[in-house]
Amino acid sequence: MTEKKKSKDSSIATKDVAQFRLPGPLVKSLDEVDKLLAAGSGDLNLDFSDCTFISVEGLEWLEEMLLRAQSKGVSISFSNVTPSVYKVFKVAHIDSVMGACGLPISGPVC
Amino acid sequence: MTTAVKDNDTSLMERVNHLTRQARLAAAVFTQYSQEDVDRIVKAMTAAAIENVEKLARAACDETRMGLFEDKMLKNFVASEFHYHQIKDKKTVGIIREFPEDNMVEIAEPVGVILALSPVTNPTSTVIFKAMAAAKTRNSIIFSPHLMAADASNMAARVVYEAAIAAGAPKGFIGWVEKSSRLRRETELMMVHPEVDLIFATGGTGMVKAACSSGKPVLGVGSGNTPVYVHKSTNVRQAAMDIIISKTFDNGTECPSEQTLVVDREIAESLIEQFKEYGCHDCNEEETAKITETIIDARTGGMNYRMVGQPANLIAEKAGITVPPETKIILCEMKGDLRGNKLAVEKLMPVLSYVVVDSVEEGLNRALDINYGGGTGHTAGIFSEDEDVIEQFGTFINAGRIIVNSPTSIGGLGGIYNNLNTTLSFGCGTGGGNITTDNVGIKNLLNYKRVPRRKHFTLSFQTTKNIYINPGSIDHLRNIKTKRAFVVTSRSAARRGHLSMVLERLPQDCRVDVFSEVCEEPEWHTIEAALQVMKQSQPDTVIALGGGSVLDASKVMRLFHDYPDLKLQEIAFNFLDFRHRMAEFPKGVKTQLVAIPTTSGTGSEVTPFAVLKDSKSQRKLSLIDETLLPTVAIIDANLTKTLPRDITADTAFDALTHALEALVSTVASDYTDGLAFEAMRLIFEALPEVLKNPTNVVWRHKLHNASCLAGMAIGNASVGVNHALAHSLGGHYDVPHGRANGVFLVSTLEYNAQIPHKFMVQSCYPLWVADEKYARAAQFLGLDEDGKLAAVGKGEKPHKGNIKQLNLALRRAIYDLSAQCGQPMSIAELGISQEDFAAAMPDLVRGAFEDMAVKTNPAVPLFEDIKDLFINAYPPRQRP
Repeated sequence: MTEKKKSKDSSIATKDVAQFRLPGPLVKSLDEVDKLLAAGSGDLNLDFSDCTFISVEGLEWLEEMLLRAQSKGVSISFSNVTPSVYKVFKVAHIDSVMGACGLPISGPVC
Repeated sequence: MTTAVKDNDTSLMERVNHLTRQARLAAAVFTQYSQEDVDRIVKAMTAAAIENVEKLARAACDETRMGLFEDKMLKNFVASEFHYHQIKDKKTVGIIREFPEDNMVEIAEPVGVILALSPVTNPTSTVIFKAMAAAKTRNSIIFSPHLMAADASNMAARVVYEAAIAAGAPKGFIGWVEKSSRLRRETELMMVHPEVDLIFATGGTGMVKAACSSGKPVLGVGSGNTPVYVHKSTNVRQAAMDIIISKTFDNGTECPSEQTLVVDREIAESLIEQFKEYGCHDCNEEETAKITETIIDARTGGMNYRMVGQPANLIAEKAGITVPPETKIILCEMKGDLRGNKLAVEKLMPVLSYVVVDSVEEGLNRALDINYGGGTGHTAGIFSEDEDVIEQFGTFINAGRIIVNSPTSIGGLGGIYNNLNTTLSFGCGTGGGNITTDNVGIKNLLNYKRVPRRKHFTLSFQTTKNIYINPGSIDHLRNIKTKRAFVVTSRSAARRGHLSMVLERLPQDCRVDVFSEVCEEPEWHTIEAALQVMKQSQPDTVIALGGGSVLDASKVMRLFHDYPDLKLQEIAFNFLDFRHRMAEFPKGVKTQLVAIPTTSGTGSEVTPFAVLKDSKSQRKLSLIDETLLPTVAIIDANLTKTLPRDITADTAFDALTHALEALVSTVASDYTDGLAFEAMRLIFEALPEVLKNPTNVVWRHKLHNASCLAGMAIGNASVGVNHALAHSLGGHYDVPHGRANGVFLVSTLEYNAQIPHKFMVQSCYPLWVADEKYARAAQFLGLDEDGKLAAVGKGEKPHKGNIKQLNLALRRAIYDLSAQCGQPMSIAELGISQEDFAAAMPDLVRGAFEDMAVKTNPAVPLFEDIKDLFINAYPPRQRP
């Protein structure tokens, strides 16, 4: 479920980005991600391709996990977020979650 | 319970943030739920509420010490069972409504986080009701209960929340503020919190007002003051029983309950006797004064809140009146002007004021006094068997619910006595400072996303039914069934011998009247003059013999002869879209119209158009309707043989413009395209030959046909900016219409072939294809690159690479045809001085801009575009 990839962004080309594909609906914390984070194995990309549902508990875990990552200086990004989950992110409007989706930190946002 | 906040939490704001954040996350997660998901959740909530109706009713009574336990149970049933029955099959997710006729659907979008205020009078039923409505619509809801009922309200919230969670609802979608001394402050903070999307306020006037001042969208429910008119036609026994049922319901705490009865004198005594018989107490004047003092707060003028929901005997006891303990209602007659009577206010208790009236008018006026005395928009009631009185009452009284021959309190709830939507929140409309008069429910807790599909209007093709087309076809007049014919023509037609050709061929026994006063650009007074003659002759047939002016005038004469009451101004409105036009034409005409064109240009014999000049404004009035279509058209080229050369060329260029403009019109169709192509081809072929040999009937015939085909094309596809320019120029300088058209043709073809500055707004024109269509025309004509007729590339589909070349070839061909015919190609050639032209420019531009012809042009001609087109058309042209 995890693999290492070089970042496409040249500015972080030296850093490895671990890929983690969510196995399905996100309804609770994911131990494997927590372990990766705890191991400090570098930046992490969460692939939401197979995640078509997210619960309140899942949202809360994402928010808390992103906080942990930030404190460790680890960058987390989300990719392939499905529209139904992206709408949840939009309605919930959690800054850190939207940041992981690539929302610019400053400047006009939508 | 993650959503419950305790008083000992760190700070008020933190509690508010926590509650709203939980609700926000739940609302976000709720967006993913399907209809099946929410229906399962609502069902579970309903079952839990029904299981707990008694417990919750007991809790409400114990905490508030208001109302009746048994009635509170009934309210809990209404809020759960009745409410569920009403909403269970309603769609609230995805597409919830379809409008096939409008090609549109509505898709539901939750409103988000709702802050719900619940009242002391219905602390549990309101919570059950609102929580179920929120779940059904996938919203989160935070309850802010009344301080005096907080424990009962929160118990109800907990019961339905736990059931919902067990059924799969998102965690935290129901929240509540725990009872504390700072409950009110916490609610105020929540009202302005950014995470709250909507306030659903049912409660005391103060809280509702605070909600309305929050700046948030509010479903506020105003206070009531229900007047009930008891008309003399009613069944007194039924009225008394229903009113008792209603006013005693939960000891009168329901806001739609009766507050003042307006009773016809004829039945007043029997009604009061009936009340007494059923256990009510009718106060004398002294007792009424005591009751007033007890239940009305002298400071505010409103009801004494300590008496709300108390039983009648207790209120009487407080007032120092002795009544039997089982007394149902205390009745107090209001004498004199009730507008100053202290009892004429809302009294949420079993005290009912009444006033006796002597007529329906007085009854309606007194009911209006109560209605507008603190309960505008809320509820009213009437007992009557007279439908007229009921209708009058409904018309005059301003109330969201006007309950007929039923108890107003339980009637207002909906579902038991009528088919109103079940609710515990009564919208009062603007009269009560609310946004709705609805029985508020799930429909008010959704955003409605309308998804209209593009309109595709049905295009039709209409033209004159019978067209006789060969030279000599004027003989068809011999077969016309007519006893009274009215021939409309011009003096020149008489001179050219056309009139006698017609008269000779009409049946012997036909009475014929001739009107030959139609001149160029006919005005209304000409039509009026003809109508005077027609009034006398009463023709069954109008025969129009002449050019476009005669034909247009005849169409209008026929229409107004058949419909003498028609007003010209009412059918000559300008319009943006034919389908939405304001003008209303009659359906069908009785008198037949035979159109015999003597020029080859306008095609009026097959169009539903007529143009008249308005004598007052000097503007042209365009009439468009199928009732203007002639019944018969006779296209006999023999009538054009004597047409002078200049008129032949002018009118032929009019027809050519028709073909070119119909081709690129925004409402063009395959039908009109075919006609336009063939009309063009015939003109290019026949016009030079006709000018060389004007009496050659074969070429005249081709040109005459071209005019008719182009007429059919514009009759269905209309014209464009070239006509707008020509109308304006022609009107200003008295230039013949066809000639005016000719001077702009090369310019407008170039203009329309460029990507427009502004695309035309037209639903049935999804692709801008003007340049492609001109290219096709060039191909159809068989033009080579230089615009010469060479049959090159005929039949091939234009492609990007050659469209510009083909457009240029078409413009060159038109230039060459004009030159060959000696037709002016610029405004300067019309003899108009540059100074005069410059001075007239503002009027010319405005005239063209306002012309209806531009509405079907493939590009929106902007003011500046029109000005440029005029300027570019002034100097003598070079070959493109």
